[in-house]
Amino acid sequence: MSVLSVRRPTPRAQVGKAVAVVALLVFTLFPAYWMLVSAFDAKAGLGTSFVPAEPTVEHFRFVLTEGGFDVFLRNSAVVALVTVLVSAVLALLASVAVARFRFRLRTQILLMILVVQMVPLEALVIPLFVQVRNLQLLETLLGLIVVYVALALPFGIWMLRGFVAAVPVELEEAAYVDGASWGRMFRSILLPLVAPGLVATSIFSFITAWNEFLFAMTLLGGATENYTVAIGLRSFFGQFSNEWGAIMAASTLITVPVMVFFILVQRRLAAGLTSGAVKG
Amino acid sequence: MASSVPVAVRADDDPSFARTGRPRRSWVARSRPWLLLAPGLAVLAVLMLWPLLRVFLFSLQDYGLPQIVSGEPNWIGLGNFAEVLTSEQLWSVVLPNTIGFAVLAVSATVAFGTAVAVLLASLGTAWRAVVSSCIMAAWAMPAVTGTYVWVWIFDADRGVFNHVLQSLGLQDAPVNWFTDRWSFYAIVLLNIVHHGFPFVTVTVLAALLGVPRELIEAAEIDGAGGWRRFFSIIVPQLRQVFAVVIIMSTIWDFKVFAQVFLMPGGAGTNREVLNLGVWSYVESFGQNRYGFGAAIAVLLTLMLLAITVVYVRTILKEEEL
Repeated sequence: MSVLSVRRPTPRAQVGKAVAVVALLVFTLFPAYWMLVSAFDAKAGLGTSFVPAEPTVEHFRFVLTEGGFDVFLRNSAVVALVTVLVSAVLALLASVAVARFRFRLRTQILLMILVVQMVPLEALVIPLFVQVRNLQLLETLLGLIVVYVALALPFGIWMLRGFVAAVPVELEEAAYVDGASWGRMFRSILLPLVAPGLVATSIFSFITAWNEFLFAMTLLGGATENYTVAIGLRSFFGQFSNEWGAIMAASTLITVPVMVFFILVQRRLAAGLTSGAVKG
Repeated sequence: MASSVPVAVRADDDPSFARTGRPRRSWVARSRPWLLLAPGLAVLAVLMLWPLLRVFLFSLQDYGLPQIVSGEPNWIGLGNFAEVLTSEQLWSVVLPNTIGFAVLAVSATVAFGTAVAVLLASLGTAWRAVVSSCIMAAWAMPAVTGTYVWVWIFDADRGVFNHVLQSLGLQDAPVNWFTDRWSFYAIVLLNIVHHGFPFVTVTVLAALLGVPRELIEAAEIDGAGGWRRFFSIIVPQLRQVFAVVIIMSTIWDFKVFAQVFLMPGGAGTNREVLNLGVWSYVESFGQNRYGFGAAIAVLLTLMLLAITVVYVRTILKEEEL
């Protein structure tokens, strides 16, 4: 039943709604659909067929072997996983501090974390390029990881703060009454209860690191063997003609993990987390 | 939003206090928040705050490759800013492409996202779930691959858009949509709206479902039509949500980079389509004029900071940090 009206809709309104839903779905899904069609079509771009005219997995084979995309996928996975691990630990510790303690400058630190998220990457890329260059980490994955940890951190702290705050203080107090130290309480009470939030936050950091393009392009320069997927795609753009079938196959490989993770996060966020952990 | 969970901190929740019941806190307990914060703050200080200060320092210098290599400063005062602010490029091309585009993109994204939210709210639960999941797919598409797909769709020689127009007889020869500034940004707009409207839809839908049914019923009984109910009952209820959605979209749409940079001609070869972010990058890394690029980046940062101040004030009204 409709939420915005109590009346029963007329048949004409029903038809109008159905048309609107179909149009919306076509608009929303067409780019992803077209990416898949082109990736699986040996004749991509030679006609106006809206299904693969000549189905093939040749583009994927080419991309993963001669195209070198297997290396790019591995690089991206390494960068994203290390970024997730490091930023999750740092964000968890910091979020416990701002969600569980009252101390001087707490509000200022929270505001700083909020404001820092709005800073355009184009402003950070110039000084960070110089900084990473001075550390002799240009063209290495380590230089990229260091930057990505910093990029993922503010949002991670901000998001985890909510999850930590949602854990009832009574549970912590019960642990102290039972004689647990702060460290024991952290490990045995807080950590398991914040775990779903940690998973959601980690997935967001993963997506950040997986998709990032500006720093990968700037810091990795000409070191093709260290390219991540986001800039590896550019190697399929020829000077005179573009290998669109290969580009779309590679794009599919990049997009699928992100879409899977996105759906996972949605569920995690929807689940009521720790609601009901304390029974009245 | 996860951040809307109220912070459950009370005066007596300091752990050592709760455990021992002594008013005097040990040194470890007092410094515990700082110990927990230290690693994260150190990373942010070195990799966010220091660079932010540094980009400002660079903008006051004639900073090129020699300065990067030697590390010697080369102060020229406000010269870079004078050059940026008096440049014809800024006023006739870059600012319209940045501000004008952001205004258009935010209006289009918020209007379309809200319309979709209203449509979803009028559907049954099952259909609502199916359509929302499909919308998520548009959101999940990475900016880089999403942009390449749009470029491919509008490709001059083999793109499906030109193919369809020609087979319908609407066009005799293929058109290169990327050379003209207006059609270039029309494609960017399509890309941004497609990628950005799911956030608006999901947020507004959640708020819509929370509007008390009695209000809508009462208005309907009083004879208010659909538009009237939407603008007089629902929009005022959702003011806070709209404020957040509009500000967030504005911040994102000012910073559009990959969606322009990755389009044909977008990486600096077509000077007509530069926006602030791309201009800053192209001047820095294309021309090795890092000081000049930094000055452009500082301008962009100041604009975003102004919007952020509005944003912070809005959420401070809503919740206590």
